[in-house]
Amino acid sequence: MAERAGHRGYIGARPLNGSRTPQHVQNIVIRDYARRKNLHYLLSAAEHTMPGSYMILEDILDELPGLKGIICYSIFMLPPDESRRRAIYDRVLRQGCDLHAAVEEIAIASQADIQAVEDILLVNKYATIL
Amino acid sequence: MTETAFLQPAEQDLADRFVNEGFVTTPADDRAGLDRIQRRAAELAADYLRLPHSNDPHGFLDSIHTRVKPEDLNGLRMHVITGLNAEPWLRPAYFRLARSAIETIVGNELCMQRRINLSIQLPADDSSLLATHSDVWSGDSPFEVVVWVPLVDVFRTKSMYLLPPSVNGEMQDRMASLRSAEELYRTIKPHLVWMDIPYGHVMVFNQTLMHGNRVNEEAGTRWSMNCRFKSVMSPYADKRFGEFFEPISLRPATRIGMQYKLPGGFNG
Repeated sequence: MAERAGHRGYIGARPLNGSRTPQHVQNIVIRDYARRKNLHYLLSAAEHTMPGSYMILEDILDELPGLKGIICYSIFMLPPDESRRRAIYDRVLRQGCDLHAAVEEIAIASQADIQAVEDILLVNKYATIL
Repeated sequence: MTETAFLQPAEQDLADRFVNEGFVTTPADDRAGLDRIQRRAAELAADYLRLPHSNDPHGFLDSIHTRVKPEDLNGLRMHVITGLNAEPWLRPAYFRLARSAIETIVGNELCMQRRINLSIQLPADDSSLLATHSDVWSGDSPFEVVVWVPLVDVFRTKSMYLLPPSVNGEMQDRMASLRSAEELYRTIKPHLVWMDIPYGHVMVFNQTLMHGNRVNEEAGTRWSMNCRFKSVMSPYADKRFGEFFEPISLRPATRIGMQYKLPGGFNG
């Protein structure tokens, strides 16, 4: 089996939680995270600006057999639908990969890691920010 | 044809071709400037590979796949594009390559992308592919154009593809039912136009149209540069003024207008 290439960056063009981060800044954050975690960073793919589109994420998921994992800029880039997110976690783990989020400095490398990520996403859904 | 009377016939022809075909190719306005860019790219590549500078930059770039492995390609690319962007003459030179076409298609008061991009595609390498996309989908304004400049002869899969305007809208309407960009590529594949562009020519294309590349199945390595231009006062999207674009040709009337204040102090 060919050696896997590294971790693909995943950035976005849509605001996250009402905030916008320039794409080159998202890349700097991912690159810095990869360096600190000793991960081999592969050039990021940028998700579409159209609300609800995850075509680029799907392309990266299709690429998983050749990757070690994915580094999202933020965990909040994942689809809002929980069942769709869980299908993504399953796909990543089934391929022997891991899923990182650079801003939150959190990773899913096994089934045991999923709940911590879901807790963040669920609390964010219901809690308000002053 | 009253509405075209303000433009020269050659300008109108160029504008019509851009609208109808989605792109125009033209000989570089400044061939010496293009040769300078090509030569500097070859020098930087040679420096990275610890090779002597070549007297044949075109041949050196075209055959770079004999000297670099795919796993070293991004390091080479970063070295070359960082070195090129560090040259203070690069962006003015790049603009001059296509100035007449840009001014006809976009206008003469322009902003330009701050960093020019470089693509290198080795034959049979699948690590540097750009899936089917429109730049607008990832945060570019629909008011932008791309100036695309090959540093070697490009043709068929050594080049890029573009979906013509006549079918782009129909294909875009189908997008939401497709799962991935690869599925989108398979849907649009029968309609694609591959750009055959000899070295010495430049292309200006409509980046709202779907485009991308595939594995280079030709014998030589593709080297191409790309940079976005837009009218400085036209609407911006996620690629903002200041952080992504900067003005290159603000005109005096605009400078005056931006600073003008009406007389104040009236109490009536």
